[in-house]
Amino acid sequence: MALLTVIGRGVRVRGRVTGEADLTIEGHVEGEVAITGTVTVDGDGIVGANINGRVVVVRGAVKGDLVATDAIRLEEGARVVGSIRAPRIAIAKGALVRGHVQTGTHPHAQSSTSSASRSKAQPARAAAPQVAPPPRAVAAPVAVKRPAPPVMASRTIPAPPPHAVKIAPKGPPPPTVPALKKGAKGALKKKAT
Amino acid sequence: MAQARTSSSTSRQDSHRSSPAVIGAGARVRGKVSGEGDLTIEGQVEGEVVVRGQLFIAEGGRVVSDIDAAGLRVAGTLEGDVSVTGEVHILAGARVRGDLHGSSISLEEGAELDGSLDCEFSLPSELESGGGRAARR
Amino acid sequence: MASTVIGAGIIIEGEVSADEDIVVQGVIRGKLDAKEGVTVEAGAVVEADISGGPLTVAGSVTGNITSTDRVELQAGARVVGNVKATRITIADGAQFKGNVDMDV
Repeated sequence: MALLTVIGRGVRVRGRVTGEADLTIEGHVEGEVAITGTVTVDGDGIVGANINGRVVVVRGAVKGDLVATDAIRLEEGARVVGSIRAPRIAIAKGALVRGHVQTGTHPHAQSSTSSASRSKAQPARAAAPQVAPPPRAVAAPVAVKRPAPPVMASRTIPAPPPHAVKIAPKGPPPPTVPALKKGAKGALKKKAT
Repeated sequence: MAQARTSSSTSRQDSHRSSPAVIGAGARVRGKVSGEGDLTIEGQVEGEVVVRGQLFIAEGGRVVSDIDAAGLRVAGTLEGDVSVTGEVHILAGARVRGDLHGSSISLEEGAELDGSLDCEFSLPSELESGGGRAARR
Repeated sequence: MASTVIGAGIIIEGEVSADEDIVVQGVIRGKLDAKEGVTVEAGAVVEADISGGPLTVAGSVTGNITSTDRVELQAGARVVGNVKATRITIADGAQFKGNVDMDV
């Protein structure tokens, strides 16, 4: 299912944009962007935020760090002030950059950059814990803050991406699964019910 | 195979003739290399490179030095800071570590880079000085 | 057609202001200010005050709705909050809890 989100030219978002989808920004976003898909900042797009994604394509203006798990492409018209980190990076001739650029999968810990703490784990995924609190670790409600009845929302709110589970180094471990001896599974199932 | 080692000396390459200056694949230079015209490095250079024209570090070329040139194309390995008045092109297969200054900098996918880029440009006014009320939650 | 679509996989926590039509299929928490129309589709969750032009809700809204035009709650909509509009339609099957203020 192609989930396409477009933040159009006349739209301004101030806050955090997260999710499992592709995102195209033609408007103005300030805050934080952490997506598991492709983030495209269009020529008109203006982003004052760090951007985390699988693939990040920029043709507009960005003030913030770009981190991708797959590739980053700065195309003609891009103006980026911030650091850029991804296994593969391409910068077109007409793209303008001010900041540190690092290709490859293990960025060395950059003590000077703002995303230093994230670079310890894989860059884009490390951002995810900021995005959605580790789901299994906390109690049942999928999203912590929501006061509204969970009935409708639980269908919509995407189960936080599996990545989030893997890379939440600081979250408490899932409360289940003690060491099982053979045959204990049956007992455990009974216990769970 | 010429293994020329020049220690701490300046070697000048004149490019008044039509044949461009080349530091061939078998050459190793340690010291300062400066020239009036274009220069192609296929061998190894360690030290400093100051070239009035275009510098091309060919695949297999290895340069450990700061670079001052009118233009730069890298297909080989470069370790050092780059100050170029014109364009910097880093080709796929290149490995570059160092800070790059140029009027325009391009990086082909597949190239390795670890360094900072510093181009002259300004961001749209909404992004300058944080754009005012950025609500971070 | 709306040129802004907040797709189903997206969560926005913060303020959204739009000069154009906006369609919400995902989640917005915070504030939504639109100059034009707003459509909250089935499955969408908006926990925010919404202000805008014509509003169509088929999803879940928790927050006050202020419209300069009309508000339509379609079957399947679930709205908790006050609605202020010039006209309002609540379809059979829509769930609504709140006050309605129609500028007469």
